[in-house]
Amino acid sequence: MISLRGVSLVYPNGVRALDNVNLEIAKGDFVFLVGDSGTGKSSLLRLLYREAKSTTGEITVDGIRVDRLRRNRIPALRRHLGVVFQDFKLLVDKTVWENVAFAMQVTGAHTRDVMRQVPRVLDLVGLSHKSRMYPGELSGGEQQRTAIARALVNNPKILLCDEPTGNLDPANTTEITALLLRINLKGTTVVVATHNQAVVDRMRRRVVRLEDGRISTDEERGYYYLGLGESQVLSG
Amino acid sequence: MDSGKVKFFLGEVLRNFTRNTGMQMTAIGTVAITIVLLGLFLFVRAAVADAGRQFLDQISVSAYLRADATPAQADAISHFLAQDPRVASVQFVPKKQALAELRQRTQGTIDTALLTENPLPDKFRIKARVTEDVPAIADSVRRLSGVENVVYGQKLVARMLQLGAVLRRVGIAVIVVFFAVAGIIISNTIRLTVFARRREIAIMQLVGATSTYIRLPFICEGLLDGFIGALFAVALLAIARATLWPRLLEALPWAQIAVTPIDPRVLAAELLLVGAAIGVLASWISVGRHLRT
Repeated sequence: MISLRGVSLVYPNGVRALDNVNLEIAKGDFVFLVGDSGTGKSSLLRLLYREAKSTTGEITVDGIRVDRLRRNRIPALRRHLGVVFQDFKLLVDKTVWENVAFAMQVTGAHTRDVMRQVPRVLDLVGLSHKSRMYPGELSGGEQQRTAIARALVNNPKILLCDEPTGNLDPANTTEITALLLRINLKGTTVVVATHNQAVVDRMRRRVVRLEDGRISTDEERGYYYLGLGESQVLSG
Repeated sequence: MDSGKVKFFLGEVLRNFTRNTGMQMTAIGTVAITIVLLGLFLFVRAAVADAGRQFLDQISVSAYLRADATPAQADAISHFLAQDPRVASVQFVPKKQALAELRQRTQGTIDTALLTENPLPDKFRIKARVTEDVPAIADSVRRLSGVENVVYGQKLVARMLQLGAVLRRVGIAVIVVFFAVAGIIISNTIRLTVFARRREIAIMQLVGATSTYIRLPFICEGLLDGFIGALFAVALLAIARATLWPRLLEALPWAQIAVTPIDPRVLAAELLLVGAAIGVLASWISVGRHLRT
């Protein structure tokens, strides 16, 4: 589903964010990207939805060669992906319903499909009863659930989450993590960049650790801290 | 047709448009001023061209005969001119009549009674069908025997043409400046909207909206600015035409301007089109600049 081969990313200011990264993520995987701030977790996600362009290497996402993608094809790629951020990125002057529907409306969906699909995802994230509220009236967890609903409304095969629990208290963090797991169980490939140790350790999923822009460890059923996992797989 | 889609889109445009009313008014006002100037320019240009045409239409070629020209020569000239397809009319003016005309024209300023003999020659007064042919007709008549001299107000014609050219150049310069100003103000207005909506734009890009789709509401906003501005301008011009124009015609009876030198409906349509075009162009540029970065 996602494949990176020999991927490097050097920003225009000369900072080398990623250095020869090799990573394979299969369909239906749930993967944590961990590592200290500035080790390239976000950069890696940004390459996948082509917010950044790799300097070298091959990137394939759902069969699309992202590293070679022409500018005008980027929207097509992004319709295959859902992306969730630490700061939710909701529109404060739109209701929960409108925020979610927005993602469909601006990609040209038929109103009939919007009316059918939005209640479905709001039900999935458990916000049906708050669909007419504005983001300012919601808790952080509810806001993030709205953002997840928006990311899922176009039925993406892949959900990318950049520190999805970074702004949340432990209770909300648990709630969001459980939701991500549920989404993954429905078949969506989920990639979560985080430095929340508790989440990673509780979930016991695949953990890819980045250090200075390189993958240092890649463990199945891993822990946040290095070497505690049951098996170590070298990817690429 | 998906009416929900249309409603959503129009809602977005309306929200953009009402977000920054002050700036929107400035943009509309500037377009209005620009279009009024353009309209005035086109109108005045048409009026001047019209007046010039009428003036030129009245220009006749005077072919003066030599004092010793024979009646046979005069007949030959008359015959020659009658056969020229460019000539509309030929009139023989004997010297007596010429003197009478002169007396009438200069009544009170020159005492023609002092003249002991008639100093004026016989002449042909020739009118061309098309003003542009006047110099050529003059040339061909000059070569005929018995013709002393040919006069058709060369300098005056040249003056008229020159004046028209200068007017046009000054007018175009002023209008270019105003177009630039209107364009810049609209583009800044749109940029403010773009800035106010940068989060929405970012989300649209994130969920895979095409850049054409993202542009469209802003283009519509620019279109509205331009079109509404032009609408105001056309209304103003229409009022001016209804109230000031008749008075101007009355005040300047000698100007000989046609009542309608230019079809007002055509002019209005052109101005609305131009206004809409400035709006679209300016917003296209400023959104494009945002999307590329």
